[in-house]
Amino acid sequence: MDIINNLAFGFGVALSFQNVLFALVGALIGTAIGVLPGIGPVATISLLLPITFGQPATTAIIMLAGIYYGAQYGGSTTAILLNLPGEISSVVTTLEGYKMARNGRAGAALATSALGSFFAGSVATIFVAGSGPLLTQVALSFGPADYFSLMLLGLIISAVLAQGSVVKAIAMVALGVALGLVGTDVQTGQQRFTFGIPELSDGISFVALAMGMFGIAEIILNLERPESRSVLKTKVGSLWLTKEEWKRATPSVLRGTALGSVLGILPGGGAALASFGSYMMERKVSKGRAMFGNGAIEGVAGPEAANNAAAQTSFIPLLTLGIPANAVMALMVGALIIQGIQPGPRMVEAQPDLFWGLIASMWIGNVMLLVINLPMIGMWVKLLQVPYKFLYPAILVFCAIGAYSVNNNVFDVYSTAIFAVVGYLFNKLRLEPAPLLIGFVLGPMMEEHLRRAMLLSRGDPMVFVQRPISATMLAIGAIALAAMLLPNLRKGKDAALSG
Amino acid sequence: MKLNAKDIASGVILILFAVVALWLNQEHSLGSARRMGPGYMPMLVFWVLMVLGIIVLGMAFFSGPDPLQKWTGIDSASLAAAIVAGYGAFLLAPRVSSYFETSYGSLGMGMLVGFLVICWSERWRLIGYICAGLCIFCLLLEKGGLMLALLATIIVACLAEPEHRQRPLGVVGVSIFLLALCWWVFIKQLDIRVAVWPQF
Repeated sequence: MDIINNLAFGFGVALSFQNVLFALVGALIGTAIGVLPGIGPVATISLLLPITFGQPATTAIIMLAGIYYGAQYGGSTTAILLNLPGEISSVVTTLEGYKMARNGRAGAALATSALGSFFAGSVATIFVAGSGPLLTQVALSFGPADYFSLMLLGLIISAVLAQGSVVKAIAMVALGVALGLVGTDVQTGQQRFTFGIPELSDGISFVALAMGMFGIAEIILNLERPESRSVLKTKVGSLWLTKEEWKRATPSVLRGTALGSVLGILPGGGAALASFGSYMMERKVSKGRAMFGNGAIEGVAGPEAANNAAAQTSFIPLLTLGIPANAVMALMVGALIIQGIQPGPRMVEAQPDLFWGLIASMWIGNVMLLVINLPMIGMWVKLLQVPYKFLYPAILVFCAIGAYSVNNNVFDVYSTAIFAVVGYLFNKLRLEPAPLLIGFVLGPMMEEHLRRAMLLSRGDPMVFVQRPISATMLAIGAIALAAMLLPNLRKGKDAALSG
Repeated sequence: MKLNAKDIASGVILILFAVVALWLNQEHSLGSARRMGPGYMPMLVFWVLMVLGIIVLGMAFFSGPDPLQKWTGIDSASLAAAIVAGYGAFLLAPRVSSYFETSYGSLGMGMLVGFLVICWSERWRLIGYICAGLCIFCLLLEKGGLMLALLATIIVACLAEPEHRQRPLGVVGVSIFLLALCWWVFIKQLDIRVAVWPQF
């Protein structure tokens, strides 16, 4: 059995002292930012990117991944106890979870959420391990035209699934691609849009863009809102589930895991979409559907399993095709490229320790998170009492030092300030920054594949519809765009992502 | 007519961006579809952007009223004053001291002055102080060392929050804690290459 050998190899990598330590650090940071509203995984990962540069690539990615799925655990804690979703993906958990807490079953809701997430995480790990190498085989037969179409599809779907207007999201993607063009042209060496600034010849700093638009702009937006801190009124109570609760939660966890695993792979998918999808499904099909709205355990078990499964399977497109499924994965691509690794189908063979080590570390991270979350729940709730006015100077100085230390150059810090202003302005105009980040990361790769494809086809653009893989991708993209013209679907999407 | 002011502003920004970018792109050779030059992909992207901007602008007529926040006279005046003062500082800084001639010192000085002037209006105060904090960090880092730069950044950033202005003791606490934390994380653990204390 290849997969067992590979996983054993992966555990060997992931269980080294350094990697375990960084997985733990990632899981702890992830839980912390999950608990704290106002700091999301995208901002945190962009903040901590520079810190990981000194580490080997595997260690860096293990830690960053820990932050992402750790946030899924942490976000549900405050959702259940305080009716305050720490992350978008735990918005639906407030619906049933907080009701359960009001009914005196807070402990049971927390346990369901943690155990469900753990189960889903374990299954998703095996799923990634099993399907990753298969997809890699498929991906190796892709030509440049197929890659271009695949990336275009990824961009379209991430725009379709973004919040708010689809046209504006597509415009943001295009703007991201445009910003990605700045720098030296790979084939001719000509400087494009650098205005004679040497720092721009390598392109706009990815860290500055992400930090400014997510980290700093978020600080300003959070400070604008009046701070509302809820106090813990409910008792956590027993963490043990009753026999009946076990019976009701188990099928929901299974369904949530399956749905989350599938939705996570979709470009543009991810934890938020999965948890909402699972909630809708449980409300329709679960046995306890009559209880929904009054603290149904199914409404906690399903979405919590789904968001954690999706957080892990969203690594599949990144690890096999080199295509980021969401903004967090775009940051991972950035991290890999800065480490000198081109994400793509060759990663399994060229960097087996990274590929299998990351997969194994996901499971280890899930074990850690179970321990971090269940017995230590009181500590995390205390963390909420840190007022934002003390938190934001810390975020700001970490951004400043982080942006500087990438190239030891103050130009990146000035760029961060400029992107903070742009990010703030975009937020006021309801322009989503997440699609822009994905476009920025994919843009340069798309240009290369487009040029190669057109060279191979002797300048005939028909190559994109003649190759079956490419044509399929383009057709799916066209259908996704057309679907958004249907008013019902659009309303459903708005409801799903408005949280 | 119920216009969506946010969509109008978005559309105009996108179109302007595309027009300026297409104009800048003239200096790059397009090549042919078969052998694309450095200007080919940018041309495609900017045209797509232009079309999308026009669609966004067109949608503003149908997507319902969504007004922008009203600016007061002070808001507009401070924005204009910030641009003028910032540009002035950018031009003057290198003449005042040769310190600003290296590592984007004049750019930093211009941005710092601009961000501080814009704090005149209540609306821009948050973004002004936060970004000014970043600029002062850069200006002080190389000569003043990490600790001094951080201290200045924290103090300027704390001006953004009214509660800090009333209770300065909290700022002292935050500063001491963050200086210690950053020293431990970035100097002790990660050992980033940067001066820690002021250099004379």
